[in-house]
Amino acid sequence: MKALASLKLTAAALGLLAAGIAWAYLERGDALACLVAPLALLALNLAAAILVNSTFRRQLPLLVFHVSLLILVLLAAAGRLTHLKGRVELATGEAFTGELLDAEEGPLHRRRLERAAFVNEGFEIDYAPKWKRLETRNTVRWRSARGEETGVIGDQTPLVLEGYRFYTTSNKGFAPVFVWQRAGAPAERGSVHLPPYPVLQFAQQVQWTLPGTERSVTVRLPLDEELIDYERSSGFRLPPRRDVELIVEGRAHVLAPGATLELAGGRLRYEGLTTWMGYAVFFDWTLPWLAAAAVLAALALGWHFWRRFAARPWQEAL
Amino acid sequence: MHEAPLLWSALLAYVVAGSTAIFALALERRAERGILGLLALGLALHGAALAARWIAVGHGPFITLFEILSSNIWSLTLVFTLAYWRVPAVRPAAAFVMPVLFILMGWLLVAHPGEGHFPPTYRTLWLYVHVGLGKVFLGTVLVAVGLSGLILARLAAQGLEELAFRFMAIGFVFETLMLVSGAVWAQDAWGRYWAWDPLETWAFLTWLSLAAFLHARVAFRVGPRASALMIIGVFVLAFLTFFGVPFISTAAHKGAI
Repeated sequence: MKALASLKLTAAALGLLAAGIAWAYLERGDALACLVAPLALLALNLAAAILVNSTFRRQLPLLVFHVSLLILVLLAAAGRLTHLKGRVELATGEAFTGELLDAEEGPLHRRRLERAAFVNEGFEIDYAPKWKRLETRNTVRWRSARGEETGVIGDQTPLVLEGYRFYTTSNKGFAPVFVWQRAGAPAERGSVHLPPYPVLQFAQQVQWTLPGTERSVTVRLPLDEELIDYERSSGFRLPPRRDVELIVEGRAHVLAPGATLELAGGRLRYEGLTTWMGYAVFFDWTLPWLAAAAVLAALALGWHFWRRFAARPWQEAL
Repeated sequence: MHEAPLLWSALLAYVVAGSTAIFALALERRAERGILGLLALGLALHGAALAARWIAVGHGPFITLFEILSSNIWSLTLVFTLAYWRVPAVRPAAAFVMPVLFILMGWLLVAHPGEGHFPPTYRTLWLYVHVGLGKVFLGTVLVAVGLSGLILARLAAQGLEELAFRFMAIGFVFETLMLVSGAVWAQDAWGRYWAWDPLETWAFLTWLSLAAFLHARVAFRVGPRASALMIIGVFVLAFLTFFGVPFISTAAHKGAI
């Protein structure tokens, strides 16, 4: 036990952790293994030291600092096992129903995203000259125990529902809304998300497979003007002309809002143009505990050094 | 009130203070009151220059290389001047600290003074908390570097490494708080508290190196010269994290502090 609690082992484990981080940073190996192995060694070393080393019993602040560090490592591990990180895009007026575009989650994460339902009610984004993005204000609506609630999120302010945190991102754009009526099937209403604007302003088109068919069409938004003024302060806005172009088997059809196009297999109605917002989704129940443990560690460290240095004044330190 | 004449005057005061400190140490003369006065004058002029710029551009010195260098020269000088004033044993270290600041001043003079964009993620109190803590951390480590210079040049009184250790210990507390506040800010700004981006990685390596230094002092009972070399090593890592990584990284987290 004493060998495991050795300070020399601590120094070696710190060195190993630094090497592991550098190794992972340079993408030379499995990042998880590079971090987990030395961190586990450090945690064992620390736990053994807390049990064996009498210094910790004599110096409470030092004990609090090291116990906080141990808790931090355990919380970080628990967080990695149960976290979720994902993306979703919602058109204005569209409800989030729990489906993500992509996600990365810990093996012990229990999904309950469908309970974090909300509706994107549209957004405003201010721009400084040269397309420098300023404030984002996204209105969202959700149902809680208190009834229906609305709020504005954006930039530093996420929507937090069921522990899931929804952040607006710089990823947003235009979304033509269609109603697709297949023969003998109920009508389906939905939106097609065009590439992000303004970053891909010259590529406002996307391939779209009509629901329930194998048929792929190209949806294109012809833009006649620059919607966000490059030279002056401006804001994100819909184009004044909202016609879209549908390219079906090499033939272009221009659709104004309300127009209908008969296609083999069904009827497509273009309802109009709206916007979509990309959200980053994050879940980690350990966040407040991590923050508390980290602050406690720092304060205990400060307390330890304060006591130690106050015992022998600075002028006499020499 | 214009920024440029104030800044130039401040730099002149710093250069005269630093040069005086170097000559005083080399010639074994005492010029402590004069140096302290010049440093205080430089800080006042520099503070006014930073305020003038803040008013003119509408945000603090957090964005461009010019602003970062200028604000760091001010904060490093402030921390060192406080140590110089309160702890007499630190005073000869000015001969080693000021040349480090001269390097930053030279860099500042060739940096473009134009404005930068203040992103929406910077409109938070955490910016000031995170940056402020980082500046205190780097400042205390710089004081320890000055003391290490004295130790390595064999100009030190006995036991000066204890003083250097104290500044490193204070730096460790502030760096820990800087990392914690940065993680809170990153969670708000980007929806993740830690993502091992280049700046986070280098900042954590700096924290580890400082932790290793503090442990090594207890575990291995390192001598004054080895201790001094380790302090300089930690400072080099911190310096590269502050002034190197943000300008070569393409990640979103530029850490422009």
